[in-house]
Amino acid sequence: MIDKTKIQKINNVLWEIPKSFRSDMNVPARIYATESLLDEILGDRSLEQLVNVATLPGIQKYAIVMPDAHEGYGFPIGGVAAFEPSSGIISPGGIGYDINCGVRLLLSERTLDEVKPYLGTLAQTIYQEVPSGVGKGGRLKLDTKKLEVVLRKGAREIVAMGYGGSFDLAQLESRGELSEADSDLVSQTAKLRGRDQLGTLGAGNHFIEVDVVDCLFENKTASQWSIFKDQVVILIHSGSRGLGHQVATDYIRIMMGLMPNYKIILPDRELACVPFSSEAGQNYFQAMSAAANFAWANRQLITWEVRYAWGKVFGSENLPILYDVAHNIAKLEACFIDGEEKSLLVHRKGATRAFFDQPVLIPGSMGTGSYVLIGEKKAASETFSSTAHGAGRRMSRTQAKREVNGFALKQTLEKEGIIVNEGSLLGLAEEAPIAYKDIDEVVEVVHEAGIAHRVARLRPVAVIKG
Amino acid sequence: MSYKILEHTGDLAILVTGSTIKDLFLESVRAMMEILKPKLAKKKKQSRRKISITARGETDLLIDFLNETLALTQIYKEIYVKIVIDQISATSIKARFLGLPVMEFGDDIKAVTYHSANVHQNQKGEWETNLLFDI
Repeated sequence: MIDKTKIQKINNVLWEIPKSFRSDMNVPARIYATESLLDEILGDRSLEQLVNVATLPGIQKYAIVMPDAHEGYGFPIGGVAAFEPSSGIISPGGIGYDINCGVRLLLSERTLDEVKPYLGTLAQTIYQEVPSGVGKGGRLKLDTKKLEVVLRKGAREIVAMGYGGSFDLAQLESRGELSEADSDLVSQTAKLRGRDQLGTLGAGNHFIEVDVVDCLFENKTASQWSIFKDQVVILIHSGSRGLGHQVATDYIRIMMGLMPNYKIILPDRELACVPFSSEAGQNYFQAMSAAANFAWANRQLITWEVRYAWGKVFGSENLPILYDVAHNIAKLEACFIDGEEKSLLVHRKGATRAFFDQPVLIPGSMGTGSYVLIGEKKAASETFSSTAHGAGRRMSRTQAKREVNGFALKQTLEKEGIIVNEGSLLGLAEEAPIAYKDIDEVVEVVHEAGIAHRVARLRPVAVIKG
Repeated sequence: MSYKILEHTGDLAILVTGSTIKDLFLESVRAMMEILKPKLAKKKKQSRRKISITARGETDLLIDFLNETLALTQIYKEIYVKIVIDQISATSIKARFLGLPVMEFGDDIKAVTYHSANVHQNQKGEWETNLLFDI
């Protein structure tokens, strides 16, 4: 546990553990948080993990953690770290097992008043059209050849199959496709795990939410983005499913075997890494990119399924995508170090890209709220254009299940006007709002820090979960 | 139940014990099968699978063995009700599984991580390790 007195306050929402804190740190560690969030973060090993990240070869400027931080393995969740490509490392633990877990927001043309009489039917129809839970296959069962095309082309291939339009691709981070992807570097085991998983939601903290735009903070931006008060929107949270999980598993195992060759000594072996410039580093990057493409393809097919469900209830209407962001990924991006632009390998593990003037989506816990924000210039110089990704857990799943009765929670949510379609009441309890940090406080931090500022707040009216 | 659930903010951590190292491996697989919360399919057609793994040491061997087993459950949508370890050493294992088909799983284990895993004998002479499942 890190002694709070060793953490220097820079301002109300930014703290620093100096490089001198431990002799093996290459850079300081920075925490974006209010003091009360910092006290919560100090309740687990997040900051010990962040200090460990600061020791990694080639790390630039700061090891950073966002206000939704909690303990992960290796890197903390909410962690951001950027590495110089020729001298630095790549680490699967800095991305996570669910490669390109991310969020997508769809906009409808309807208000809540118009949708409300049909909300139960809409939620039920979405629940039927989008397979959720674990072990249920999706509507596409691809052979290896077709799957490999998806791994190379991502969302573009799903659109080519007829599930969406080219207009969708412009609204996705990286247009839903990383060109570095190499399907040959994805193992057969990973391909077998993913072959029937496209268009499936998963379980755990994955969800589809029907939300209403509750509050606008930035009318001009909201208008430009076609967001209006009382508008019904749909939030999709899912990732690369078993394929991505297996890619991470495969390469962590490979890297652990190779690390002695590079004389990399780690304070925590879950930080398993290799030089980015090495063959193994490049292989993982290309396999990770393929898994990221699979996740965008997954969210594209889920989008089609949601549109199909919407069409069954309301007839043919537009549900355009506002944006789609990844929050578990590593990308080569132009970053500013001391005023100089450099290409760095930015790892985001439970952190979202916040490019200037682009939408940022930060979902809260079930039953609370979510935010649409706009990226600010300051993010480029301060956080490698990164921000928080959600509310962040503050309670273990086992504790949540002890303290919350899933059935009672469902009843409470329904009394609050939130329809819930779930695959598991125990799973629901694990995702109870009390298990998460306060999303308003998390977003207040990123807003006050000038990384991204609020455009709209969304309130859930229906939740669909595995 | 030869495992105890530990507290962890984001994932599922357990402490597993076994009277021998072979037992530890068996109990670890059984624990993982329980955590998956399988809902058995109506048709109970049995399957047989084999695994053969090598690793640098017992801890890595256990984690790799569990991950390989997990992958099989997910690929074939089945749960293993009988596990036979034919051979085990500090760096290798050969095992056979008898499986039953599953309609779905109640929980999603993304992977078994190496975090805090350390196969060792405790003061009672039992073999034990922590296991952290990314869920």
